Amino acid sequence: MSTVLDQIEQQIAKLSTKAVKKNTGNIRTLADGVAKIDGLSDVMYNEMVAFPGGAIGIALNLEESEVGCVILGDISKLKEGDEVTTTGKLLSVPVGKALLGRAVDALGNPVDGKGPIDAKEFYPVERIAPGIIVRKSVSQPLFTGIMAIDSMIPIGRGQRELIIGDRGTGKTTIAIDTIINQAKINKVGLASGDPKFRPVYSIYVAIGQKNSNIVRTIAALEAAGALEFTILVCASAADNPANQYLAPYSGAAMGEWFMENGQDALIVYDDLSKHAVAYRQISLILKRPSGREAYPGDVFYLHSRLLERSARLDGKGSLTALPIIETLAGDVSAYIPTNVISITDGQIFLETDLFNQGIRPAVSVGLSVSRVGSAAQIKATKQVGGKLKGELAQFRELAAFAQFGSDLDAKTKSQLERGARIVELFKQPAFSPLPIELQVSILFAMQKGFFDPIDAKKVVPAAAAMKDFFTTRKDALLTEIRTKAALDKDIEAKLQAACDEWKSGYTG
Amino acid sequence: MAAPAKQAQLLARQLFKLSVVDGTVSADRVAGVLAYVEKHASAQSLLVLKAYRRLVATELAKSEARVEHAGAISSSALAAIAATMTKTYRRPVTAVARANPALLAGVRVHVGDDVYESSVSGQLAALAASV
Repeated sequence: MSTVLDQIEQQIAKLSTKAVKKNTGNIRTLADGVAKIDGLSDVMYNEMVAFPGGAIGIALNLEESEVGCVILGDISKLKEGDEVTTTGKLLSVPVGKALLGRAVDALGNPVDGKGPIDAKEFYPVERIAPGIIVRKSVSQPLFTGIMAIDSMIPIGRGQRELIIGDRGTGKTTIAIDTIINQAKINKVGLASGDPKFRPVYSIYVAIGQKNSNIVRTIAALEAAGALEFTILVCASAADNPANQYLAPYSGAAMGEWFMENGQDALIVYDDLSKHAVAYRQISLILKRPSGREAYPGDVFYLHSRLLERSARLDGKGSLTALPIIETLAGDVSAYIPTNVISITDGQIFLETDLFNQGIRPAVSVGLSVSRVGSAAQIKATKQVGGKLKGELAQFRELAAFAQFGSDLDAKTKSQLERGARIVELFKQPAFSPLPIELQVSILFAMQKGFFDPIDAKKVVPAAAAMKDFFTTRKDALLTEIRTKAALDKDIEAKLQAACDEWKSGYTG
Repeated sequence: MAAPAKQAQLLARQLFKLSVVDGTVSADRVAGVLAYVEKHASAQSLLVLKAYRRLVATELAKSEARVEHAGAISSSALAAIAATMTKTYRRPVTAVARANPALLAGVRVHVGDDVYESSVSGQLAALAASV
């Protein structure tokens, strides 16, 4: 008993007896997670302020007579007149590998019931993006595992590639596929013991989503064995707008840790449309002037400062961003979509019509682009898929023209048939990304006309059979393609022989 | 045209500026302002007066050190606090004592938005937060 008391007394003695200065204020109004506070004359912009009951807030509006704060956490116990104190600190979140495999909220607190997170470091949520001197151009590929994307719209490490489309067109699926593919590549690379191998860690930021959807995503990642390489930052639809506003910045801070420590990371913002809506709500309650579609004037800066934090740093690592935007009725010319399109280094546009026709992933080749282009592709993919985008675009044009029903010449017919087979070949089920060496093999077979004698409707099972054939019987060849990353004459001959072998045995 | 609440705020701020002489609130000027508002009564008078009161109260709080204490406090201690605060804030600050047994021991001084915590209850709260 006395020992316990001694310990407490020692702790009390340790505390300084000097007067501690605090700057305080009082809540004047409180609504929708935003408090207007009298006082706080020393508060700084974006400073963390402490509310009673452990809730914290961020000072966003510094006015002559009051301070506007967004409150993070439980606001149900706060009331008018409560005392608020400044902390002199910026909001920070835990970072590091201890977060891998965990689901956290916008403040980095675990929400998965797996116990506390033993994080050693903290990074500020808001940070200035790296400048131009420290950056390096994007030249290393980041494979999504989706054949249509890796061959035609390649993504590089450090790039910002927007995934845009209407609701229910498979935007999240593409992002999850990419995360799963990184995990698969990581496992192969780490098992190989290659000292030059750089794993890609993933961060998935769920903004304003239903909790059931978040649970489904976690389950998909866990089933695919990708959770151990992934951090999930969750700000569901049930969270207050302040948490939804902060979640992407928290995720970016976690990703920056990997980038600053010479590692590569991928971050998915799902989605920034809901993020803009949360910010609009906060801004309107803070009585900031509203502009187009009632968004505040700095909604462009909201996303540009976030996405600029993704970069490839010279001598360090990279942070690749896949922001997602949901359009309404395919309107890419709306306010937020055009903003994010102009910020990012390209976009993957998903079309509802294609999705409904069963073409999944429903990537619109004409409207999708990667501004990094072939700089982020391995040579093998360039060799087999360099002309694919042109061929597919030509096919779409001819297909539209051929609908008039006139007689077609042999060349046009062959182009249409080739195009139809490419479309079929690019169909890929959800959560089953393909390794790049397998993609190269399939595309090689397609370029060499191995799918030409097969009926277009039977291309999907034929391609599946070919994938099985290569993975089960040509593992050495696939490893050679993966390690060399280019097709020399020897590999081309082996691929040709393998395809011939498959053709002779294929009875479908 | 600005909203009525915003107009009231603007008018209150103008009236407040008129009430300050050499950095301190002048009682004569305040009386003058109140007389003006009474004479020119409008629908916004209540809003204006409320906003004006808040501004004046905030300003007055900067010139007054509210000393909360748990035990007895001597007048010399109060004078010392007032002198220190006058020096710190570079303006005349008077000290007013207010008993607060919840502090257990020590003092807590409020000057405007600033709080100087030197009480046992404050230290225990810091201890609780650090555990």
